Amino acid sequence: MSIAWRLALRDLRRGGRGLVLLVLCLFLGTAALAGIGSLSASMLAALDAQGRTMLGGDVELQVSQRRASVEELAAFASAGRMSETVSMRAMADAGGSHGPVLVDLRAVDNAWPLVGSFALAAGASAARPHGREAAIAPALADRLGLRVGNRMRLGAATFTVVGIIADEPDRLGAGFALGPPVIVDMAGLDATGSIQPGSLYESHYRLLVTQRGAAGLIGKRLVACFPGAGWSARTSDRAASGLRRGITQLGQFLLLVGLAALAIAGVGVGSGVAAYLSGKTRIIATLKVLGATSGTVARIFLSQLGLAAGIGIGAGLALGATVPWIVAEVAGSALPVAPRLAFYARPLASAAVLGILVALLFALPALARARQVPAAALLRGAVGAASKPSLSVIAAMGVIVALLVALAVLSASDRLLALGFVGAITALIGLLWLLGLAIRWTLGRLPRPRAPLLRLALANLHRPGSQTDRLVVALGLGFSLFVALAVIDTSLSAELAGAAPAKAPRFFAIDLQPEDAGRFHAAVASAAPGARIEAVPSLRGSITALKGVRVADMKNLPESAWVLRGDRTLTWSAGVPPRNEVVAGRWWPRGYRGPPLVSLEDSAARSLGLRIGDRITVSVLGVDVPARIAALRKIDWGGLGLNFAIVFSPGYIEEAPHGLLASVYSAPSRDGAVARAVAAALPSVTTIRVGDVIGRIGEVLGQVALAIRAAAAVTVAAGIAVLVGAVAAGGTSRRYDAVILKLLGGTARQVLLAQAIEYALLSLVLVAVSLLVGAGAGWYVVVHVFELAWAPDWSTVAATLGAAVAVTLGIGLAGSVNALRSRPAEVLREAQ
Amino acid sequence: MTIAPFAIDNAVIDARNVSLSLGRAPSRVDILRGIDLSVAPGETVALLGASGSGKSSLMAVLAGLERPSGGEVRVTGLDFVHLDENALAVARRGRIGIVLQAFHLLPTMTALENVAVPLELAGQRDAFPRAAAELAAVGLAARTGHYPAQLSGGEQQRVAIARALVGAPALLFADEPTGNLDTTTGAAIMDTLFARQAASGTTLFVITHDRTLAARCRRVVELADGRVVADSRSA
Repeated sequence: MSIAWRLALRDLRRGGRGLVLLVLCLFLGTAALAGIGSLSASMLAALDAQGRTMLGGDVELQVSQRRASVEELAAFASAGRMSETVSMRAMADAGGSHGPVLVDLRAVDNAWPLVGSFALAAGASAARPHGREAAIAPALADRLGLRVGNRMRLGAATFTVVGIIADEPDRLGAGFALGPPVIVDMAGLDATGSIQPGSLYESHYRLLVTQRGAAGLIGKRLVACFPGAGWSARTSDRAASGLRRGITQLGQFLLLVGLAALAIAGVGVGSGVAAYLSGKTRIIATLKVLGATSGTVARIFLSQLGLAAGIGIGAGLALGATVPWIVAEVAGSALPVAPRLAFYARPLASAAVLGILVALLFALPALARARQVPAAALLRGAVGAASKPSLSVIAAMGVIVALLVALAVLSASDRLLALGFVGAITALIGLLWLLGLAIRWTLGRLPRPRAPLLRLALANLHRPGSQTDRLVVALGLGFSLFVALAVIDTSLSAELAGAAPAKAPRFFAIDLQPEDAGRFHAAVASAAPGARIEAVPSLRGSITALKGVRVADMKNLPESAWVLRGDRTLTWSAGVPPRNEVVAGRWWPRGYRGPPLVSLEDSAARSLGLRIGDRITVSVLGVDVPARIAALRKIDWGGLGLNFAIVFSPGYIEEAPHGLLASVYSAPSRDGAVARAVAAALPSVTTIRVGDVIGRIGEVLGQVALAIRAAAAVTVAAGIAVLVGAVAAGGTSRRYDAVILKLLGGTARQVLLAQAIEYALLSLVLVAVSLLVGAGAGWYVVVHVFELAWAPDWSTVAATLGAAVAVTLGIGLAGSVNALRSRPAEVLREAQ
Repeated sequence: MTIAPFAIDNAVIDARNVSLSLGRAPSRVDILRGIDLSVAPGETVALLGASGSGKSSLMAVLAGLERPSGGEVRVTGLDFVHLDENALAVARRGRIGIVLQAFHLLPTMTALENVAVPLELAGQRDAFPRAAAELAAVGLAARTGHYPAQLSGGEQQRVAIARALVGAPALLFADEPTGNLDTTTGAAIMDTLFARQAASGTTLFVITHDRTLAARCRRVVELADGRVVADSRSA
């Protein structure tokens, strides 16, 4: 064993308590990163493992508003075993007081499911529904009070409930649903009468192929067999792509929270190590008197710090690795997919390396200072201005920062966001450190106040050896984080609170046939006199080419290219639609009947680099419709009215089979009456209550908010640990000051008051800085990451900041109370 | 890093025109001014002076704890002026032992471990047996496993003496070794110190303000205001 390691262990036997903060901070920071990374990996692994089951096959082909032709069916069937399903929205009505309820209607063939098993709960009267039989979700049974054998209306027909769905293996692959699922067979679907020209429905054809590895190629080949027919194909790795994207994005955000926790932990490491090594000054000087070189001293304390860091990081990794199990146990039912329970080496390794780098980065300056303690310090004492780090130390820190940034960015799915975040944190730490120096410089030059306690408080902030710059970084980071989290949390809560704006419609109606418009108006008017109805034509289509380039040939579509993903609802309009403002180009004149023109939503167009005059091609019911972009629009989405990203000029597009979409603005008290009246007059029309949609979205947001609060709790814990450490770092000098003041006749109240003034002054400056920084960071996350409305509750933010200041004062004063209890003789002897 | 083996010279310490200043103008303080001092092997020298006379600073320069602002310092033949901190630390191993007023034992190590540290730093494999023997020589054979906090002031100082002598140094500095001790204990410590010096033949350099203590040394050098004002050898 080397001499450095031997001496390090000997010293730790009795003098290692000062490393507790280092261990705790690294434990918290590493646990946060390892836990978040492990949980994300476990949920994505679950999606990967269940991909085939979620998709319902090896490849799925999908088309909107029609079913496959005989020729298409033959081509699909030749590629493997095939199953057909049709999905659409419909209204289910049990005839009771509940009124009709929006459901996700699914018609399945006899071959379904190709993967996994369909199961009904115990007590079912059949294995699966046939004809005018339906299997319903437990949520629908609860809502409508239905049991096996009861009857309910679906569209134009009455169905008997044969069972409650226990397992629908490809439910997750179907994506976000507005209503609970109902399963019927193809004969049942026909009976509902819901399939009309222009009705919004999707037909899915799942295939089990013999060469699973070639599933992607098979899908592409089949789509290519019917160009322009509106087919899209996806394989099992893209099943539940929306959910996968959601998990990845949430994981990304939580990773940033974890990085923030680690950064704060790093500040704690810096404080803790500085205080620890400061307490070892005499030991270091003694060792040098006895013949130890600076290198030996550095190795001794690097060994100690490495051991402590290893314990903290190891414990953090151990906890982080078990997070999937913990979350599955505690919140399993709230998760969209159960995590695949295993140890995931990559996020653990990443967290470990990040923890080590952070520990090194923040410990290096103090270690370098300790290394330079001269032997003569035994004779002259250690009080003096801290020496600036040498060029080699600065260079080493630069290298570590570069490695940290690289690893943090490479670990993230959105690397640009991660780079920006890491850059922002680094800049913030630098800014706060400069602010600390500025505070010291300014206070040192102010005239001395007459009041002795105020003079003492100010002097403590700028005297040699004061912890002001470190406190400013720790407190500034902590306060900014608390403000940012409060802003994000309250904005999310505002979304959850059902911020359905007063001007939002009460209902959307879909699958309304043009010839039924009159009956629809009459039904609504009879139930809600004075109600306002907006009805627009609608059909489904997908953008297949931009400026002559086929979308299918484009690689790596950016996240912002949502308008290219799948089918979009289209419309046409002679005039500019309500809630829309033309921001570029010109709207076509009324009565225009020339070649197709199109108007796109402004941000969607800009994200694709499209401008006025560019050409796009939209596939509608298998027919390619080329159009020139005539105008770009800004849309007020806030009112939740009917808005469309793609609006055509009237003329050619009107000839496509289409339906109407309607929004109903009526008194809330008439909701039930309107739903019943429309269901009675037009059973095939589906009405969607806006409140239900917001509620459904609210459930998802609620889960997101819960995850953020859990991650934030760890970060807050790290922040508090850092506060404690920063206060403890000045403990020795505070004890000495307290004793001297007592010797000179000062009371405990006066000592504590001086301390309180010191922390209050610092906190006042930092409150202003952290409000600015934290609110800015919170705004960016809410508006640009979550794409929600900026709606923080400032009273909550103020209360959070107030609590943080109170905690700071409390911790600071607790440290001073401890100092007041010190025995003067002991402290004075230690100081000699 | 290699240290040239010292050549046995007539003088264990050879200091010429040594000056030491601390701080920068206008608050610069001249602590030592043009000191010439030469010490032969085996001598017992007392450096006497009032508080602030510069005696501890001179000791620091001669022990390689402080770099002089001017002049030459050769200790056991080594030029201390042109060695850096690390080279001075290595130079002290086996050459110089130091006993200080506040003992400065390593609080987290036992008496035996404290005494063994200089030998361990020098890479000596028999550090612990030699440390045990040295502790026995100062009468602390029964205290080897005690931590400094568990020892009395006198016992701590004896451990410090053992630590200073364990490497058989050519030169032993003792800066106010009885300053923190009562009279009886202080006298006992000095008896121990002189007895160990006589047994080992080490050159002893005692810094003190106590004339009675100084009188026990064969040579007394008196400092005042950073200058040598009396030297019984040249008297």
